[in-house]
Amino acid sequence: MASLGYYLLLAAFVVCAYAAAISVAGARRRSQALIESGIGAFYLLTAIMGVASAVIVYAFVVGDYSIRYVQRYSDSVQPMFYKLTSYWGGLDGSIMFWVSLLAAFGSAAVYVNRERHRELIPYVVTVISVVEMFFLFLMIVHNNPFQTFLTETHTDGAGLNPLLQNFYMAIHPPTMYLGFVGLTIPYAFGMAALITGHLDDSWLRAVRRWTMISWLFLSVGLGLGMIWAYEELGWGGYWMWDPVENAGLLPWFTATAFLHSVMVQEKRGMLRVWNVCLVITTFFLTIFGTFMTRSGVVQSVHAFGDDPELARLFTIFMITLVVVSFGFVIYRLPLLRARNELDSWLSREAAFMMNNWILLFSAFFVLFATMFPTLSEAIRGERLTVGPPFFNQWMLPIGLTLLLLTGIGPLLAWRKSTVLNLRDSFLFPVAMGLLTGATVVALGVRVWASGICFALSAFVVGTICQEFWRGARVRQRATGTDVFTALVGLVGRNKRRYGGYVVHLGMVLIFFGFAGEGFKQKEEAQLKPGQQVAVGDFVVRHDALSVTDDGQKQMITAHVTVLRDGKPFAEMYPAKWIFRKHEESPTTEVAINRGFAQDVYLVLATFDAATQSASLAIDINPLVNWVWMGFGLLALGIGIALLPDAAFAFATAPMPANAATTALIFLAVVLSQGVVLAQETIPAVFRSPIERRVAEEVMCTCGCRLSVANCGMMNCHGKESQLAKIHQYAAAGQDHDAILATFVREHGGHDVLMRPPNRGFNRVVWLLPYGVAVMALLGLAATARRWSRRDVAAPAAAAIEPEIDARLENELRDLD
Amino acid sequence: MSSATSTSDAGGTPTLPSWQLFALAGLVGATLVVFVSRGQSPAAIILLSLVVFAAAAVGAAALRTLAPLIREHEGAVPIVAGRARAAVEREKTLALRAIKELEFDHAMGKVSEQDFAEMGLRLRTRAAGLLRQLDAGASYSTQIEQELARRLAKAGSSASVDPGGTRPGRFCTECGTASTAAARFCGQCGHKLETA
Repeated sequence: MASLGYYLLLAAFVVCAYAAAISVAGARRRSQALIESGIGAFYLLTAIMGVASAVIVYAFVVGDYSIRYVQRYSDSVQPMFYKLTSYWGGLDGSIMFWVSLLAAFGSAAVYVNRERHRELIPYVVTVISVVEMFFLFLMIVHNNPFQTFLTETHTDGAGLNPLLQNFYMAIHPPTMYLGFVGLTIPYAFGMAALITGHLDDSWLRAVRRWTMISWLFLSVGLGLGMIWAYEELGWGGYWMWDPVENAGLLPWFTATAFLHSVMVQEKRGMLRVWNVCLVITTFFLTIFGTFMTRSGVVQSVHAFGDDPELARLFTIFMITLVVVSFGFVIYRLPLLRARNELDSWLSREAAFMMNNWILLFSAFFVLFATMFPTLSEAIRGERLTVGPPFFNQWMLPIGLTLLLLTGIGPLLAWRKSTVLNLRDSFLFPVAMGLLTGATVVALGVRVWASGICFALSAFVVGTICQEFWRGARVRQRATGTDVFTALVGLVGRNKRRYGGYVVHLGMVLIFFGFAGEGFKQKEEAQLKPGQQVAVGDFVVRHDALSVTDDGQKQMITAHVTVLRDGKPFAEMYPAKWIFRKHEESPTTEVAINRGFAQDVYLVLATFDAATQSASLAIDINPLVNWVWMGFGLLALGIGIALLPDAAFAFATAPMPANAATTALIFLAVVLSQGVVLAQETIPAVFRSPIERRVAEEVMCTCGCRLSVANCGMMNCHGKESQLAKIHQYAAAGQDHDAILATFVREHGGHDVLMRPPNRGFNRVVWLLPYGVAVMALLGLAATARRWSRRDVAAPAAAAIEPEIDARLENELRDLD
Repeated sequence: MSSATSTSDAGGTPTLPSWQLFALAGLVGATLVVFVSRGQSPAAIILLSLVVFAAAAVGAAALRTLAPLIREHEGAVPIVAGRARAAVEREKTLALRAIKELEFDHAMGKVSEQDFAEMGLRLRTRAAGLLRQLDAGASYSTQIEQELARRLAKAGSSASVDPGGTRPGRFCTECGTASTAAARFCGQCGHKLETA
């Protein structure tokens, strides 16, 4: 079994090499036979990887523990579902899974485009094959998933990490991989266009759908990862700016930028060099993300572990990739010259440029801050931590600017907006924004960032509603139907634009959810049965503690009643599960009561079975579910944009039924988790404001890489002592800075702080990205000035025969 | 994995059944596996069958890889059957949609007059070009031949300049369409072709 798998990998490598070589040869010699053979070889690769995948999954199902990988990531008591998903549970298998997905995705792309983009296809096959070859090479020499034990024999496996035995974790990696893998397709087409010199817009048309599909998978993958972190890690939040999370976010930023700037090229023929560079950067970042996750260059909770050899191989590949890709861009620069002209800053083009600027700024900021600890260690030998407080502080203005631009962009006209149509189109959205802002102020909301975010959200929603409404009116006048039919027809006629607006709406919901973070309440309490504690509007009562066992794990469950205004609100059962084979790391089973306004989030932190007492971490998380709904809406929007024309064959066609159900299922899955299943009020563990602030900024020493305020690890040996110290120092009258200084002194380094102290060299961590962003903005302005001075060349007016023109008019009428 | 696309001619060896053969082999293999591996868990049997099917796919794909190398390709006639035409049709629809979109944007007040005129003209020129291409029978080879014939006819004598020495058939004296050397009547207008 194992050797069969290994030979299949070897065969796949050979076939890959063959496909790459013969496609180049075919393209150079213009031999259809060779090109066809290359395409065939690519299909063959997919088939071989299919066999290899089936073989390894079979090994998992029958429990062939002579294979190391199977032994390490599964065991016999594991449910079937997790046996299947163990395939991508570890490093080696995940690379193989990656190769299989890329082969399948690539085959689909080649199959669909082989007629329409005949000149590009051989090079597309070559580029994808070369990328595949790298990963196959990795597997063959370094990470062979089919490696067997030499002498030992095992009768059972070690079992998949319990943290990964969660529904979302099982489907999060494949979704993420699909996103990553899918972004290889635009890169392959872009490179093919560069190599062949066919640099008109045809390659963009070929990759548009693939980029959208990949973007969808990437977004949903990020969303699922957030849900997983929220449900499984038990620290009350969903995004901790961990390097691996950031690795997934980086290509998302650049892919989003590409999806926008592509429109400028389509409409105005501008930014051609820029688009090619974006595609290359995006692909590079996907590889870089894989590298960060797998090589151990950065410290992270969910990296696969240290592996210098792998890091070396990846570095070589990445350098080659950058040199070759950008080498071709430079080589083809003469062909990429575009007729760039910018008439006004108040134009859609300029708005798209600003959008690209802010997205790239975000990507650069996240990248730099993620790599800063490594950099600081290399330059100054000092290890630092750049944690959530830092990112939340500095990403906030960037996020709000992005939200603002989301509202402004669609309102501007192409090329030039006049004062008149500016006033006309901005009136309603700005009014909405101001109204919401005033309401927020009147209600006395104290968190200014959240307040601004609410106002901006209203502004963007106003923009989108106005776009839909006006579009529907125009169409109603043109077709003479009722508004609703016009609206459906409108979306059907321009699925990409209106799907895009729906995606914007999803982003607004996500931001709305983020803003709720500002009103989060967090308490901890040590409760005996019958005791209760008040948190915000809620009262949490601990009723009992139970211990059960299902063969695979021991489950300690707290029975908790939550009351609101004196009335029972929910029964909740936070638990700890102790898996037989992983007793050192019990998993936290969070109890969440979901609601539109807030989630009540309970974590059983520690327990004492003898006295039945439990220490509970209680979080009230306002508006969290809006984030998940935003992701659902985002998926719906992309679904609309991707629908085939047939779905909107006539204007009265029903709404995109399948897309809607997809989103509903998504939402249902998210929301169905809903409710997971004597009297003395005691105060929650008392913490003064200064202690709370310090607790957010000091890192827990148990290795969770979270702040002591957030650490949710069982048997955490760092949190309690750290908190006690903070309490002691605060009681001794030290202020915020003094306590932090004491911690740094005792620890012997600044890495105990969640964000590097803002002085000296450390300022570089935010100063450089912001500085670069400002420089980029200035550069953008200079370029725009240069472009705007150019003379507008009159378009070459080719005469159209009257007969053809008449037919054109006819067809246009029929199209409606 | 349709191997029907790999060949240029429809009349040669029957290519379509090849993948059906492999599909059949996969079914037979899977049946055998189910018999042989009785007693194993259902999941294992399903996966083994999947392995067999995937192996059948490997066979089909291998054939798809090697077939183009062995099979002879008549001349340099590329594949321009229905698919190429469909591609042009699609391009045309895209261009027409773009025009519609532009008109819509104009109605929404998002495109200035000058832009509307300029971009409209550009798109219309493109759409018109595609229409002409479709008229011409979509395939470039016929288009080239028609163009060649037109020019040759314009040049005057039909029995003259043949630069490469190759004789590209004959041309109809009525409509100028090229025909193969063996044809006796013009394929386009039915006019009797003069024998050389």
